[in-house]
Amino acid sequence: MFQQRKMAVLGAALGLLALAGCDGGGGGSSASSGSGGVVATPAPTPTPAAFTEGDAARLAKQASFGPTPDLVARIKSLGATAWVDEQLAASTSTYADLAVEVRRDFCVSTDTVCNRAHNSRTPVAMRFYANAIAGSDQLRQRTAFALGQMVVASEAEVNSTAGIAAFNQILLANAFGNYRDILQQVTMSGYMGDYLDMADSNKSGPSENYARELLQLFSMGPDQLNMDGTLKRDGNGAAIPNYTTDDIKGVAKALTGWTYARVGGAAITDGNARDYSQPMIQVASRYDSTAKSFLGTSVAAGATQDASVAAVVDAAFNNASTAPFVAKHMIVHLVTANPSPAYVGRVAAVFADNGSGKRGDMKAVVRAILLDPEARSAPGATSGKLKEPVLLMTALARAIGFATDGYVFQTRDTSLGQPVFRSPSVFNFYPDDFPLPGSATLKSPASKLLNTSNVLRWHNFVYDWTISGDATRSEYALDSGLPMSSLTQPLWASWEAYGSDLDAMVSRIDLTLFAATLTQAQKDALKAAATPITNADANIQARKRAQMMLYVAATSPMFLVDR
Amino acid sequence: MTISRRDFMRMTAGAGALSAIGQLGRTTAIAAPNGSYRAMVGVFLFGGNDSWNMVIPTDARHAQYLAARGTVGIKASQLTSLTGAPYALHPAMAALRPIWDEGSLSLVLNAGTLFAPLTKATYQSRPDLRPMNLLSHSDEQAHWQGVRARDFATDGFMGRLTDKMGVSAVPSMMSIAGSNLAVIGKTSSALVLPSTGTLSRSGYSTASNAANNAKNAALTSFASGTGLGEVTDASARDINASYSQATTANTIISATSALDGYFVNPTTGAALTSDVARQLMRVARMIDARGSLGHNRQTFFVSQGGFDNHSGQTNGGNNDTGVHANLLGDLAMALAGFHRAMQSIGMAENVTAFTMSDFGRTYRGNAQTGTDHAWGGNHLVVGGNVTAGGIFGAYPDPVLGGATDVSSEGRFLPAVSQEQYLGAIARWHGVSDADMPYVFPNWSTWSTGGLGPLGLFKA
Repeated sequence: MFQQRKMAVLGAALGLLALAGCDGGGGGSSASSGSGGVVATPAPTPTPAAFTEGDAARLAKQASFGPTPDLVARIKSLGATAWVDEQLAASTSTYADLAVEVRRDFCVSTDTVCNRAHNSRTPVAMRFYANAIAGSDQLRQRTAFALGQMVVASEAEVNSTAGIAAFNQILLANAFGNYRDILQQVTMSGYMGDYLDMADSNKSGPSENYARELLQLFSMGPDQLNMDGTLKRDGNGAAIPNYTTDDIKGVAKALTGWTYARVGGAAITDGNARDYSQPMIQVASRYDSTAKSFLGTSVAAGATQDASVAAVVDAAFNNASTAPFVAKHMIVHLVTANPSPAYVGRVAAVFADNGSGKRGDMKAVVRAILLDPEARSAPGATSGKLKEPVLLMTALARAIGFATDGYVFQTRDTSLGQPVFRSPSVFNFYPDDFPLPGSATLKSPASKLLNTSNVLRWHNFVYDWTISGDATRSEYALDSGLPMSSLTQPLWASWEAYGSDLDAMVSRIDLTLFAATLTQAQKDALKAAATPITNADANIQARKRAQMMLYVAATSPMFLVDR
Repeated sequence: MTISRRDFMRMTAGAGALSAIGQLGRTTAIAAPNGSYRAMVGVFLFGGNDSWNMVIPTDARHAQYLAARGTVGIKASQLTSLTGAPYALHPAMAALRPIWDEGSLSLVLNAGTLFAPLTKATYQSRPDLRPMNLLSHSDEQAHWQGVRARDFATDGFMGRLTDKMGVSAVPSMMSIAGSNLAVIGKTSSALVLPSTGTLSRSGYSTASNAANNAKNAALTSFASGTGLGEVTDASARDINASYSQATTANTIISATSALDGYFVNPTTGAALTSDVARQLMRVARMIDARGSLGHNRQTFFVSQGGFDNHSGQTNGGNNDTGVHANLLGDLAMALAGFHRAMQSIGMAENVTAFTMSDFGRTYRGNAQTGTDHAWGGNHLVVGGNVTAGGIFGAYPDPVLGGATDVSSEGRFLPAVSQEQYLGAIARWHGVSDADMPYVFPNWSTWSTGGLGPLGLFKA
């Protein structure tokens, strides 16, 4: 559902800012235009302290699909900077092999498996979850997932498997690339072309859909921003729009004349042959070749279609608001729902210039987000973000230990409120500025999903996969019928190996679910809940005790909120 | 913001066939007698309903309509006529014709988000009087739900209305469409029900034995967010409230109900399966359970999605069919079924259902038989207490670039504000004069100078 998507002005509530040498009022630098002249807020010098296992687990929550004992150990041994750099160099996940289009009439309508393989999100979602659970390039995947919640296309409108794979491959492949390349490739994507109607947009009545959402959601946002993500205001204190209706119409004109590539070189009149996995192709007769002007840019009459598209992408990419807009979204989805303006300002400055004069370097942006003192210092009163359902599922499964083809996750995610690659609209599952209930200032995107109905569903999901989560659970034997099926197995053996050592179980739960923040009273309560469970079979007893403690832990608000 | 009376008179002297604005200068609340139950049911049509194809003029303006709509216009012969009115409904909305004939349907023409009364001239000269970020889905939804057209809303009109009512164990404000701005109060929050399925909590027991007591003690030791930051604290509150409210609500939604039987396709008799029908079925049950819940006022938010049709809105060449036709057919049958269900329990006069949507769409269809984002649009109000045959607001001059088109594609300046429309329903619901500015922050603009809530209801 759509909601307001705006940037909030936040009071500087973090004690950390006192270290930052800024004025403490949340006023950051402001860029007057373009990407030049950026004065970044200097990063505070963090107080050196020992990098603990808990610190490592906290970074894992921000940069992966959930801490595991091995991941925490790896981060602990390398330190934050070296581990992030290792992750920035990692690239093991791909959807490219799934991006092979077939004709829409390739499957007979009664062939469930064929339609699942070619006309649904299922194979791509399975790959997403399989990689999230077991893939080594965790940070690349998390970054692509965050990008995909800003640059949204959805199976709800376009159900080509190859298209979903190709679109998400753009985000995965460029997660540590350049944001301009993301905008260019997304603009040309046949899948996005259908989702937001740029495909077949005709000079006789251009569609404004992609034009508007490119500016509003994928780049600059509706209102002018300071570099720290706060709203620029005019003399009357009012927000200043980033574009007018005429700008949208100009961009729409510039984006006319494209249609889908076709499977097997079929004619462009063949509606069943659309190739959603490929960039769109030109239909010169539908292109408006007259002069266009938008966003302070002019495209001369007679300019090529490619030149018109490039002018649009450049205008979106180079807009002064794009740096804070993208920076803030990425912080909100990786680290905290309410970053201080200074934090946003530091990351936006890196987006504007990676230090080598390059704008849009996502590798530098992600590095800046995760290594910022605000991400690494102790959390404050406003720190943290509510887990979205996808992260609830993956974090629990990774903490338990799972071997999976991903199928059971994608059969579950709809009922939890977040079917991956199937957002209800281009506005994602929730807006970045959804208000935290009861707060006039704080935001909490995932709180849009924390309602009466979903609370029960999330609880019951955790119950099913813990207390009722033996390997024999029928759900884990669900077979997608696709060649990639390997079913799902929870790996309880590592918990059974603890035998009667409840302290070891509690310690693992404390580290992987809570980044070592449990109180002694909570640890004691977990043990007390587990102790009455007995069984003559030592393995069953250990497993059932672990399941009980994991159930209590993973249904808790403090697990649902990562700080 | 200040507008002189002379400015104001100039702004409101617009062209077009102005229908009754109603309630002019009325200052007494339309508060229902104590103990007289009332419910409002807001149906939000997400994505921006092309309501120019939902309510269509049938007089001489139909030719202008066809000429201007181009790729998406519907022929006069196909429309669902409304007895005695110069307007018809979409061909797919025949289920509402008997409701109109019975006097339980009103039309609101060209309503939209406004911050201040505007003419085309003042729209162009005074950007400071326009709602922020017009034509944006997210902003316009917030302007309808939060009713702060030039500010950022963190709460909505239904939530604020509920803030002013007594607290009950199960909230009297409910959404069957998830959490939305409309149902966030400053102090109140909504019960959010699923449109299908139940609200049971697996594995939870209050049985008293050593093992279960230890388990529940552990759950309790993890239940609080205190000291863990504001996000955890607020989330913990919501989670615990959900557990306690779910039990009562679950009893109601798990039972069988004869009311479901009214949600049928009037032509085929088949049970309705659309999401909006399922949501309204649940609303009907909660209204039926008002006594056991201790509610004498209820507020509901439901939704229907899929209205953002920039392409393929109609089946090209057969504009009475297609995606939009299917949506409106589902909506009409769901509203009709809901009204019949209310009649069956004698509650039709105590319940009002009404539509909202991001915005109307461009009058001109585009080259892909779709429409783009615009501003004003038409709405429906259904209930036993509405003004029979009521037509409110003013249909715009159906000419591209005409008197109230603020672009050249038919983006019409609204004739009435969302506050005059929603405010009328809130007053009927029982919001007092004194509380109106709290529920509608800009109410002073819309309740003075000859303006006021629309006369949607029988006096």
